[in-house]
Amino acid sequence: MPQFSFEPVVMPPEALKLRQEVRAFLADEIQKGSFTPAVGSMVEGDEAFSQKIGAKGWLGMTWPKQYGGGERSSLERYVVVEELLAAGAPSLCHWIAERQSGPQILRHGSERAKTTILPEIAAGRCYFAIGMSEPDTGSDLASVKSRAVKTDGGWRITGRKVWTSFAHRAHYVIALVRTSGTPDQRHYGLSQFIVDMKTPGITVRPIYNLYGGHDFNEVTFDDVLVPDDMIVGGEGRGWEMVVGELAFERSGPDRFMSSYPLLAEAVDEMGPDPERMQAAELGRAVAHLATLRRMSASIAGMLNDGKSPVTEAALVKDLGTTLEQEIPEIVRRILPVEPRGVGSDNGYVDLQQLAQMQCVSYSIRGGTREILRGMIARGLGLR
Amino acid sequence: MSDMRDEMLRTLDRIVEDTATTALREAADEKASGGGGAKGDATAALWAALEEAGITAIGGGGEDDVSFADAMELVRRAGYHALPVPLAETIIARRMLARARITAPEGAITLAVPGAGELPREGGGMLTGVIQSVPYGRAAAHAVVATEGKLHLVAIHDAMMTRGTNMAGEPRDVIDLSRAKVLASAASPTAIADLEAEGALVRAVALSGALSACLDHCLTWVGDRVQFGKPIGKHQAVQHLLAQLAEETAAAGAAADLAIEAAMVGPRRFEVAIAKARAGEAAGKAANIAHATFGAMGFTREHILHYTTRRLWAWRNEFGSEVYWQAEIGRIAARGGARKLWPLLTGELERD
Repeated sequence: MPQFSFEPVVMPPEALKLRQEVRAFLADEIQKGSFTPAVGSMVEGDEAFSQKIGAKGWLGMTWPKQYGGGERSSLERYVVVEELLAAGAPSLCHWIAERQSGPQILRHGSERAKTTILPEIAAGRCYFAIGMSEPDTGSDLASVKSRAVKTDGGWRITGRKVWTSFAHRAHYVIALVRTSGTPDQRHYGLSQFIVDMKTPGITVRPIYNLYGGHDFNEVTFDDVLVPDDMIVGGEGRGWEMVVGELAFERSGPDRFMSSYPLLAEAVDEMGPDPERMQAAELGRAVAHLATLRRMSASIAGMLNDGKSPVTEAALVKDLGTTLEQEIPEIVRRILPVEPRGVGSDNGYVDLQQLAQMQCVSYSIRGGTREILRGMIARGLGLR
Repeated sequence: MSDMRDEMLRTLDRIVEDTATTALREAADEKASGGGGAKGDATAALWAALEEAGITAIGGGGEDDVSFADAMELVRRAGYHALPVPLAETIIARRMLARARITAPEGAITLAVPGAGELPREGGGMLTGVIQSVPYGRAAAHAVVATEGKLHLVAIHDAMMTRGTNMAGEPRDVIDLSRAKVLASAASPTAIADLEAEGALVRAVALSGALSACLDHCLTWVGDRVQFGKPIGKHQAVQHLLAQLAEETAAAGAAADLAIEAAMVGPRRFEVAIAKARAGEAAGKAANIAHATFGAMGFTREHILHYTTRRLWAWRNEFGSEVYWQAEIGRIAARGGARKLWPLLTGELERD
């Protein structure tokens, strides 16, 4: 019977050394006041911080040196990513570009795309958004209606993308659009384009989230010209590209660490001598985190070996976001404190409230829980 | 995976297929309507076959022995098969004895782990104390027992014994150590904690095997059982339940692996705590999902599902429930404070 295996992975000595370097750097940055730990590194963005990380050689670590990479292992990258998350560092700017867009361009982009874009991502200067969802297209990605029409030397895109995270600060958006066929032809005829946000015809409008934060946007394309060599993976291969990037998008520590800074804050708030059930609540969260780290690192090892464990990644994401969403509840059970109202300077309460409001999005972004469970069921041979 | 491991697991599978019939499982099961285990040596043929294949003599780490990781795979597979014999106990007991440089006897060896306030005392070459819930106490001639600072190998065949069982009908006997003969002792400052942790380790590993079995049973069933004109596995609600079961199974497996890897060098209590806590939690969820999937059929005695699900419920309680281990992890984490929480998770702190 099909079951999923998470082979053990041994962290190489260079990864262990790197961990100490990253941790020392982040402690120093916190000391200097360059950032305050936040829940969800993917929420706070700071260009200067991303550039510092880039200058350290900690972005695009696995890419070839000719494209600005460091030719290091996925396991070293894994260590950097989880240290950033554990510290609650403001990593939003580079996050999507480094995790997802860069690897995709590296594997399927044109030489010009690789030469001009990848070194900039690795330097922490170039940011991406992903344009998949549309007003009538959420989980059902194959139903996209945005279209690209062939023109001399390129394509002209017309359509509307919504809930596009970070588009207001991104330099590029990778848009999934239809280049042939009709929405009822499903996966057929979809392509992905790297669209320079400075191109005439693009309008970005904020879509504020439930707590008033600005992450989402509506991005409208009105006959936007994209050169031929900014298609990713060739015409009609959009669906394949979307599926291929999921193992990268779904298995990382960002899928279970988002609420970690809140848990850490709760530990100090609770103090060194908890009652039994407080200790058990905390210990349960720690046991889950330790297990998820093991699974996620195992996937990093598989990616390092050139595999594409898409179903295992879906499984880790579903377990991981479930924990991320539970942590605000767990800390409420450990410390049932009421907020002290306006002007409160209580780090713990503020973090709890932010995590509470944010965490509902965790099981939506990057594939909903229901989509993931469908994929796992397919992996089990049930569909 | 080593060839040796493959061969050993195949041997176990074959013995199970030939010997571990439903009739044997019922006869071994104290919860069976016919009184089951009262028939005494119902499992003798199974144990003999395992002994013959050399499977009961591993764990000691001798020259011809399989690796510790291979031995744990055997424990996992025995858990998968819900075997009604003290194989896991014997394997881990042999390892503990070898580490204490005590020669292990042949045959089944069990672990006598004291509960709170039950700690046995040593004096004049004898032990005094009563230990509850000793796995297969009646079937094992020997037990590993811990007292303050010492590990002992004890002959228990003459000990006063009161029969008991766990939810799965597995023998869990009360043993009065006062008539048991101490065969060998070795100084070990952490004997008591280690004995408990080694027991928890094999239960976590066995739970991971039982969870895989649970998933396999469910996958077969949802393909066979037709309702509303199609196999129930085609219904999205059922698919999502089984996806969650696969998640819990994978998580418990990874947690057990993490503890096995850590334990290569010796007892590692923190990783065992994580494994037992996580696998125990998975066990409860998995049993619920399996019974939801099987409906009334799975609630009957005649169906085999309960051999697995009752063990999931029983084993998660043994050698420390998940709350017990969660609380231990939580106390360690709290003591370290926020600053040390992350190094604790990344395995950089001394935790015991």
